[in-house]
Order: sequence, then C-alpha cells, then structure tokens
Amino acid sequence: MNLSVKIANVTFKNPVTVASGTFGHAEKYYDLEEAKRLGAIVPKTVTFHPQAGNPPVRIFETPSGMINAIGIENPGIDAFIAEKLPAFRKIGVPLIVSILGHTPEQFVGIMEKLNSPAFGGGIAAVELNLSCPNLKFQTLVAQDPQATQALVHKIKAISKFPIIAKLSPNVTDIAVIALAAQDGGADAVSLVNTFNAMAVDVRTQRSRIGNFTGGLSGPAIRPMAVYMVHSVAKAVQVPVIGMGGIMTADDALEFLIAGATMVAVGTANFVNPRAPLEVLQGIEAYMREHKIDDIKDIIGSLKYDKK
Amino acid sequence: MEKIQNIYKVVSNEKLCPQFWRMTFDAPDIVREVKPGQFVHIRTGEGLEPFFRRPFSVYRAQKYVEIFYEAVGPGTKLLSQKKKGDTVDVLGPVGTPFALPPEGTKQVVMIAGGIGVAPMLILSDVLKKKKCELVLLYGGRTRGHVYPMQEFKDGGIKVFVATDDGSVGIKGRVSALFGKIRKDPQTTFLYTCGPDAMMAAVQDFAGQHNLRGQAACEEIMACALGACLGCSIETKHGYRTVCYDGPAFDIHEVIFHP
Repeated sequence: MNLSVKIANVTFKNPVTVASGTFGHAEKYYDLEEAKRLGAIVPKTVTFHPQAGNPPVRIFETPSGMINAIGIENPGIDAFIAEKLPAFRKIGVPLIVSILGHTPEQFVGIMEKLNSPAFGGGIAAVELNLSCPNLKFQTLVAQDPQATQALVHKIKAISKFPIIAKLSPNVTDIAVIALAAQDGGADAVSLVNTFNAMAVDVRTQRSRIGNFTGGLSGPAIRPMAVYMVHSVAKAVQVPVIGMGGIMTADDALEFLIAGATMVAVGTANFVNPRAPLEVLQGIEAYMREHKIDDIKDIIGSLKYDKK
Repeated sequence: MEKIQNIYKVVSNEKLCPQFWRMTFDAPDIVREVKPGQFVHIRTGEGLEPFFRRPFSVYRAQKYVEIFYEAVGPGTKLLSQKKKGDTVDVLGPVGTPFALPPEGTKQVVMIAGGIGVAPMLILSDVLKKKKCELVLLYGGRTRGHVYPMQEFKDGGIKVFVATDDGSVGIKGRVSALFGKIRKDPQTTFLYTCGPDAMMAAVQDFAGQHNLRGQAACEEIMACALGACLGCSIETKHGYRTVCYDGPAFDIHEVIFHP
C-alpha cells in the first residue's frame, strides 16, 4: 500500500500533517513514537522578530469549534532556530516551517536565515503564512492576488526549499488567489486558514476575545473548507494541502477526494492529541477496505455523475 | 514518555452541596504521578458539543483521583450526569505544580474563593508532613457555595469561612479573614486560588507584608499541553500559559485584572 505523496521534489511518507500553531513542542507530553508516523510536522508560525501575542482572552469555544486570536506569539526566527527547532528535528519527520513577515523584507530576512549553511538544514519545505499585512492596500497579502504573486515570487526566487503558500478563506474567490500563488512559483498551496469571526458576551456587551475579533476553526468550518479546497484543486496544477475542521479519517478523506494531496489536522489536536495518528490509521483502514493500493487513486477522485 | 490520555472508570459522582460536585475515577497512574496544583483535562461529552475539554484541578489523589467542580456550564453539567461505571476520557496530569514552602515555614495559609478550593486538599495532604500550622481561609457567595469543610478539618487544618451574605462564617469577603495570617516574611507562606479580584487582594496583602506565596490561575483552555498558547495570562515576565507554565505561579508574578 503506497501512502506517499510529493510536493516539488520532496516525498512525504504519507499525506497526514498538522496545521501550524496546533502542535506543541512539549516533548514530555508527546509520544515521539507516534509523532514519528506523521507525514510531516508544521511548527507554529515564526516571525522575524519575537512577538508577544495578543492580550487574553485569546480563545473562545463556539459551536463545533473555536475562535482564536493568539497573535502569533513566538520567539522570533533566531530563537526558533536555536531553541525550538532541535526538538522538532529530533522527531525525525519532515518539517514544514511556517513563516510570516510583516513586510516582504522580513520574509526575505527569515528565508535567508533558513537558507544559511549555518542553519544546518533539516527542513523539507517552507510555508508562507500570507495572512500578513499588505501594507500598500490595508488588507492581507492573501486577500490580494497581485501581492500574493509578488511575495511568493520574491521568496521562491531565493529559497532553497519548496514553497507552500497558505491561503486565507476571507476572500471573494480563493481560486483566484491560489492561481496567483501558483503564478508566483508556489510549489503547493495550503488552505484554509481561519475564518474571520467574533463572539459577544451579551451580559457585558463586549467581545469575548481580547483582540476583539479572531479566527474560527474546527468542524464548524469543514464544509466551507472542503468547498474551497475543491475549487482550488480544480483551478491549479500544484498540490493542495487541505485543512479545516478535520477530526476523523472520514473528514480527511473528504478533502483528499475533493482534490487535496495532503491533509492537515489542526484544532482537533486540542481535543484529541492522537487525532493526526487516528486520521492516518483510518485512511489506511479505508484503503484496505476499498482495496486501494495507492493514495493517489483517492486524491481528486470525486465523482460528478448523478446517481 | 507515559501515555497521558486514557479512559478511566467513574467510581462515584456526588453532589456535595447545592453548588459543588465531586467526581472520583479510578486512575492509578495519575494517583502515582500527580502533584498538588496540577490538573486533568476531561472530555465531558462524546461528540462535538461542548467542543473543548474542561480543566479540573486534582482535589485529592489517594486510592482514586478526585475532582471538585461546579455544574455551571454545558461541560460541567454533562459531567454531573456521569454515573458510577461510566467512563471519562482524561488527559493528565498536566501543568506546573505548586512550589512547596521553603524550610523554616511555620504557617501555611491557603486562601480560596468558591471552586478555587479545588487544589487545596491535595496540597494540604502533602503539607501535613511539613509540620507547620495549616490554615484555610475560604470565601463563598452564600451558604450554597460553602462546601462542608470537614475533610480539611479532619486533617487538622484550621478553617475560617466568610460569605457575602453572612449565612456561614463572617459576613464579607475572604479578605476580612486576613487577620489570621501571621505577617512574618520568614515563616509564613501563602497559596491562593479563586476569582481574580480575590487573588489580587491576596497579592496586594502579600506585597504589603513581604510574604511569599503561590497563585493557581485559570483561563479558558484548549489544548492543555502548551501547544496553542490560548490560555496565556499576563505576568511580569510577559505572557505565560496557564496550562504549561502554570497553573501555579509565584503570587507576585501574575498581573491580575480584577
């Protein structure tokens, strides 16, 4: 049974990874033997400078999901490389490093550090978190096709690693942005990031979230995420990494059948730390049950005939 | 690494007073490992509602693990419906435990508000070996919020109660009981857990009298493993997660927003 998939020239032993910001590095809590089985691991997004994150309250439970406004709290790229990366490398699973710059120059600065011979390699790909400011238009880069294409192009030109563009669902047509990322040279696109969201405490008439608004994730968004993954997979030629509310193997299979080459388990990690592994085992069981020898026979296998 | 997520059998689940419940479950591995101030993260329902697990301080860990909780929201209400023989999906023990008092401590004062008494019994079980005076100052809204403190009293702990309406103990806030605290920086050690306003008052008192202590904090929590950074609170050293850096913090470190 073959579960391996490829992004650019990198082979992942199976299509199951984790979404950025949902998988910790607390070695004492994670069973490394289990983590080793994943296709890839994506650490929390790292920025050029350390970032303190947003004031509490940072998360709020919603029907079948959560709103978060963590604010990309992270120690910055230098401390990430020195302090966080060794533990991730030790797992022995391909790493997809998620990066975010507040300016194109910061993206370049992070990329140069990852490219540096002193860095020591050990990463499989770089994911650009495009939910970052597009200073010229007061939007996010991921909300503007020109900005997306230009930024991806700029980073792809200097990167030693395959580039994955992570897309925001808060757009009119996500396929347009995906095509722009592809035109910029992206080796893959990953989607969806969280949906803009808000919850109000009716007693105090204030937002439930310290940052006022946040991003919705979890099973609540899954049908919208599957729809977007499907529309992007039909539009682009590069692989799609699908995510958004995956809790079980069946959820993940929806994304694969809709056209995703890889799937990322995100918010489910907070409820069930073994969720990514259970998803992987479930996909294997599905393939055995349906006598499917190669995962590629599942990817994009959606039928359009009326039955 | 030990597997920290397991399914355990409920031994008992009882209502102790109009507000508070106690659940006991059979988890010998947690009993072996847990330290005062640590917590367990429980999936209260089977499906997607409520979505998050719920964190509960370990109240006691002798033969079984005991948690002490208030059935207020959808998660805790579901938990209160569990019967003997049912199972619970538990992650834990997790979190940074309480630091224990330094040598030479003669008086330990636990200051708890409402459900904030939850981590204090397991703490007093450990502190009994320290041979110092143990005091519990407990504040509740009204009679229904005052759990009968017999378990503390049976352990030789001096218990003083204040209620907002005076229905039990003295009338007023728990700060009205601060007179029971010896103001000796060398030999007094404080522990507090409860509403932010109460812990801020304890912090203020500790600051005025140069007393040392620990605060067990609370925040909405998702992963409980230090991964999502959702439960961060403000401290003098920046944001810190309640689940991983805490729940126990130095009392002077936390910036409360009462």
